[in-house]
Amino acid sequence: MAATIDEDRLSETFAALANSTRRAILARLAEGGATVNELAQPFEMKLPAISKHIKVLERAGLVVRGQRAQYRPCALDPAPLEEVSTWAERYRPVWEARFDRMDDYLRQLQPRRKAGKDDD
Amino acid sequence: MTDNGSADAVEIERIIDAPLALVWQMWTDPKHFKAWYGPGGATIPVAKMDVRVGGTRLVCMEVQTPNGPMRMWFAGEYREVIENERLIYTESISDENGHVSAPSDMGMPEGHPTTTEVRVELKDIGGRTKMVMTHLGIPHDSAGAAGWAMALDKLAAYIATYSNR
Repeated sequence: MAATIDEDRLSETFAALANSTRRAILARLAEGGATVNELAQPFEMKLPAISKHIKVLERAGLVVRGQRAQYRPCALDPAPLEEVSTWAERYRPVWEARFDRMDDYLRQLQPRRKAGKDDD
Repeated sequence: MTDNGSADAVEIERIIDAPLALVWQMWTDPKHFKAWYGPGGATIPVAKMDVRVGGTRLVCMEVQTPNGPMRMWFAGEYREVIENERLIYTESISDENGHVSAPSDMGMPEGHPTTTEVRVELKDIGGRTKMVMTHLGIPHDSAGAAGWAMALDKLAAYIATYSNR
């Protein structure tokens, strides 16, 4: 079981990624650290709006802020995306669940097959 | 079992209690596909499938999250279509128009693919169907690419299971 995975954290990570401005901010940070002012430049947005987006990214753990007073440059931290086990391990239960549903659905479609075929 | 050049692949074999043709439709008829593809609370509001080699597909998965409904789009192309026998298609995170999200849009450096491939092989075994599904990451050009691309794939997988927990 993947019980060690922090589910809330992951949903926060995805929510953070589900916004084009925030993805653009991450894309910019993938090239290197930047200050909030620098991050705001490409956008037609006021600083507080950008700061708000950065806070969401920070909460999701995707962005870390430096300690240098005032500038507090932002940097990308991909760790939240990597804390899940391997790609295949994550996908397997998804597919298994899908195929369980396919079985159920097929049983509804073919009621005559319903009985006595539990083995494999 | 599979030798696909990528260590990261899922292979699942199942015996499905249905004839070949019906299992084929599970994958290729949007009406049927929508009925099973979304695990748990995920729904499939959109499934467009032009099932022929080179034809495109577009699937939307919607899940409920604490932040409201979340829609993910997946675009792809059919690479092999042998009716009732073998189906191969690609899958990439995209927008609602099927445009594959540029790696930069996803917060990744340029040039990093996010495409995976799904292979389905069907075989009749006395009226039932043996189904082997392989889902694999397409080999990446550069070593660093895998991390980001797979992280996003993991995320997509997570989203799909989210409302299941």
